[in-house]
This record gives sequence, C-alpha cells and structure tokens, in this order.
Amino acid sequence: MKTLKLLPVDLSLFGLLLLCTTFTPVAGVQPTVHTIRISQMQFNPATLTVHKGDTIVFVNKDIVTHDATEISGKAWKSPALASGDSWRMAATKSAAFYCSFHPVMKGKIVVK
Amino acid sequence: MVLFIAFALQLQTAAAQNKQNNPKLSDAEVASVAVIANQIDIDQAMLAKERSKNQDVLQFAETMINDHKAVIKQASDLVQKLGVTPKENAVGKQLQADAAKTANMLRTKSGSAFDKAYVNNEVAYHKAVISAVEGLLIPESENEELRNLLQSIVPALNAHLEHAQMLQKQLNQK
Repeated sequence: MKTLKLLPVDLSLFGLLLLCTTFTPVAGVQPTVHTIRISQMQFNPATLTVHKGDTIVFVNKDIVTHDATEISGKAWKSPALASGDSWRMAATKSAAFYCSFHPVMKGKIVVK
Repeated sequence: MVLFIAFALQLQTAAAQNKQNNPKLSDAEVASVAVIANQIDIDQAMLAKERSKNQDVLQFAETMINDHKAVIKQASDLVQKLGVTPKENAVGKQLQADAAKTANMLRTKSGSAFDKAYVNNEVAYHKAVISAVEGLLIPESENEELRNLLQSIVPALNAHLEHAQMLQKQLNQK
C-alpha cells in the first residue's frame, strides 16, 4: 500500500497557498503593473493611461543612462538609471515627465 | 565657425564620396573612427566643464561625457568580442587634427562667447557625425553586429543634436 509522503517543500507551498487565500482581498481591483520601456532615446509608450494606485516600472534598455523626471522637477524623479536598471513608482496623479539628461525625451502618465 | 564648417563639410564629403566609390575602410578602421569621433566629443565637453559657468551648458557637457563614454564601451566590448583591433587611418587622423584646431579656437574664448562657440560646434559636429555614421561608417561595415551598433547610436546622436539646438536657441536669445 502506498503512503502519501509530504516533503517539507510541499508543506511550505501549502502554507503559502493558505496565506494567499487568507489575505487576498475578495473584493476590489488589483493594482496593475505597467512598464515603460526606455530605448532608442524614447519612452515607450510615450503616453500611458493607468488607474490610481497602479504601479509603473521604468526599464532602461538603452545604451546610455536616463531618468524619468516629473516635468516641474518637484513631484517625483527617478534616480539615474544605467543601462539595464529599472525603477518603480505608484501612480497617484497625471503628470508629464522627461529625461533630465536628454530634455528632448518626453512622456505622459494619465491617471483615470 | 570656419573650422566647424570645414570639419562638417569634410565628413559630409567623405560620406558623399562613399556613395559613389567602393568601400575604403575595413571594420577595424570603422571601429577606430567611431571611437575617435566619440572621444573628440568627450574632450570638447571636458573643455566646456573647465570653462563654462552656464548650468545648462555644464549639464549638457556632462551628458555628452557620459553618453559618449557608454558608446565607446559598447564599441570596445564589441571589437574585443569580434577579435578586431581598431586600426588607425587617415579619416581618424584628420578628425583628430580638426578637433585640435577647434579646441585651440575654443580656448581663446570665455564667458558667453565660449558657451555660444561650444554649443555651435556641438550642433555642427553632431550633424557631421550623423551624416558620417549614416553615409560612411554604416555602409562601410561588413560585420552585422558592428553595423547594428552604429545604427543603434544614431538616435542618441539625434537627441544630442536636438538638445544642442535647444541650447543654441536659448543662448542666442540672451
């Protein structure tokens, strides 16, 4: 007769599943993660529409260093993102932004 | 200004001649010219950092140093991977000779006259380099990865040109 053996890894997975089930909100919309890819000296997409609370990840796939700076320079600014670096922020309100190293690079976030 | 125009015309002439003639640069020579062209802009930017007090000009110069260093690193990594040793050639030597003349001219200027001369040179230089990369270096490259690298730096060169033109407009309004 075969016996069911639960290995430690199985138990930890079971525990994780239980935790997720317990603490995941039943109602409400989950925040979405959006990516703005920086390549060829452009933010792509240049205009991104999101919901309040969504996460926006800037990923630098270019050869050179960039950043993402809110247009007034006062609301928010990413650190310098070297090639391969990324930075995430929570979307709270609509904003225009640019790269402070290359001011001709511009983008826009629209929070619905 | 005469120097900028002479330099720009020289690069553009080389690019135009290339369209009619057979390729004259090997990949090793193309790599050498690419590194020299980037190093020249780094050197001019270092001069700007020494002589300018204008924050916008200083920030532009800093960006030129960082971006062109990044391009040189990409080129160096690629030639190492390909086992190519950049080879000196007449085009590269001429670029260096012209850049030395431009640097001498810039050293005679200070204050806003320096800022205008530096930024004017950056506009002319980037126009000339874009023309040379598209009309001479890319067509001359036989290796696909080298050609792809050169193509990938054109958007950065265009962004630098637009940035320099923006500064040029600002400085001319003062």
